[in-house]
Amino acid sequence: MQVFTLLAKPSASITFTFNDLEVSAIPGQSVGAALLEAGDRVLRVTRFEKKPRAMFCGIGVCFDCLVVIDGAPNQRACITEAKANMVVRTQVGGA
Amino acid sequence: MKPEQVRVVVVGGGPAGLSAALNAALAGASVLLIDSNSKLGGQYWRHLPETWLEQSELHLDLDTGLLLISAVANHPKIEIWSGAEIWSATHEDGATTLRLITNGLEKIITTKALVLATGAYDRTLPFPGWDIPGVMTPGGAQSLIKGHGVAAGKRVVVAGTGPFLLPVAAVLAQIGCEVVELLEANSPLRWLKSFPTLIQNLSKIGEAAHYIAIFNKFGVRPKFNRAVVAAHANKDGELESVSIAKIDSNFKIKKIDRVKCDLAAIGWGFTADTSLAGALLLKQFVTKDEGVAVSVDENQQSSIAGIFAAGEITGIGGSELSIAEGVIAGLAAAIYVGCKAGISDDHRKTRAKKHKFAEALISSYPVKSGWRGWLTDETIICRCEEVKYSKLKFAVTELGATDSRTAKLLSRCGMGMCQGRICGRFVVDLVANESGISPSDISEKERISVGNRPIITPISIELLANGE
Repeated sequence: MQVFTLLAKPSASITFTFNDLEVSAIPGQSVGAALLEAGDRVLRVTRFEKKPRAMFCGIGVCFDCLVVIDGAPNQRACITEAKANMVVRTQVGGA
Repeated sequence: MKPEQVRVVVVGGGPAGLSAALNAALAGASVLLIDSNSKLGGQYWRHLPETWLEQSELHLDLDTGLLLISAVANHPKIEIWSGAEIWSATHEDGATTLRLITNGLEKIITTKALVLATGAYDRTLPFPGWDIPGVMTPGGAQSLIKGHGVAAGKRVVVAGTGPFLLPVAAVLAQIGCEVVELLEANSPLRWLKSFPTLIQNLSKIGEAAHYIAIFNKFGVRPKFNRAVVAAHANKDGELESVSIAKIDSNFKIKKIDRVKCDLAAIGWGFTADTSLAGALLLKQFVTKDEGVAVSVDENQQSSIAGIFAAGEITGIGGSELSIAEGVIAGLAAAIYVGCKAGISDDHRKTRAKKHKFAEALISSYPVKSGWRGWLTDETIICRCEEVKYSKLKFAVTELGATDSRTAKLLSRCGMGMCQGRICGRFVVDLVANESGISPSDISEKERISVGNRPIITPISIELLANGE
């Protein structure tokens, strides 16, 4: 999925990985926003039905955008700021 | 760990919290402002670094916000803790104790004067396919643009009810999305009932005209009495299209069309975040739109002396009402701790005027019970625990639950990570309906208890162990 970008936007100067692939982010952007821009909308797979989920409320309320960051599960991608060299993974079920 | 003493603590960095902090400080009080966001401004004044773009184009009222943020950030009597999440709050012997996590550490503070300005989030309704990636709240779609410069799709449907749909559709069009549909579930004629109030708030008509000009420029044509009643996924499980229904005034489906889109931003007004108020056992009441709000007196003081509340948690009313309430709450909190200040009649008049407009808004954009007819047995009700409608109904009709708390225990609706923030409000209506209780007969207690969470935000045991 391609998304539009703003004209005067600074370049994405930091990188982290999502499922071992490199993703770039603008300093200050959330993990979820950087992934969305890279074309990765699906962030987790549900526990029971193995259904894909993405950001829903976008402001930290719904806990639907949970990812595993540096080994720690249940991190909200929408409100966690992207940092250089983070290791981010799709969360499957509870971890 | 020894609790730290501060004079006035304000929780929330949006319009109400910023106004409260500034006015308490101007009255002479030392202020600690605690905000869960990494940047001040709240959901309303969420913004990008100034160097990114000409943001006034994307935001109607950012100037006021930036002015207020800078005044608060530069005031010597205000200390700011951003990115701080409060997980527990208790009140004893005239003082409130807050436990929070900031920069990965636990902190405990106590205060005699507290202002709660915890804001609100999008009110949602379930429908078949609302868990598909690509279905979002309008607030979520907007925050991705205003806070991160990212559009969540290319072909967008904006739907639901309320004036908030207008800025969201506008900002999506401005950033380059094709807004294929903008659907308001209610009729604009509902405003005729509040005509005198509308005339007294001409600036609001100006705001509407501003959005209509944007829609004309980008070819967006708003439609009324229509709603998204189902979403459909492609083979990858992501959003491919939505079913759009023409609905009657009670939200019953009349006729359905399919529209292709990769983003559907759907919201039904707002739900106040009363978690903290509930933990402190503040008196709350059920609002006209079946939401819950904190009861306050003419000085924004809650049922507990020394605890004040302002903004959306005292009733949904928008940024201007939030500012008016924040000013009064900040001054009242400063007076409570002994500062010499006064609350003028002008402050109260401004608040009364904005309050009247907020009431007109609520009655112009109701959520009617016909939405229940959009559900199927397979529809997910609780997103966290993946509870289907059939399971919730089973808890009532077969297992005998007659209230939402029992239904929650029997079905797991509302027992996931979000602690019922998303489904709690409408589960009350669904359980009542299954039990044969009419919406007007649902008790205040039943609606208020939905927001009661002893642990305000989920935290890890590890963080607690690392506390100072």
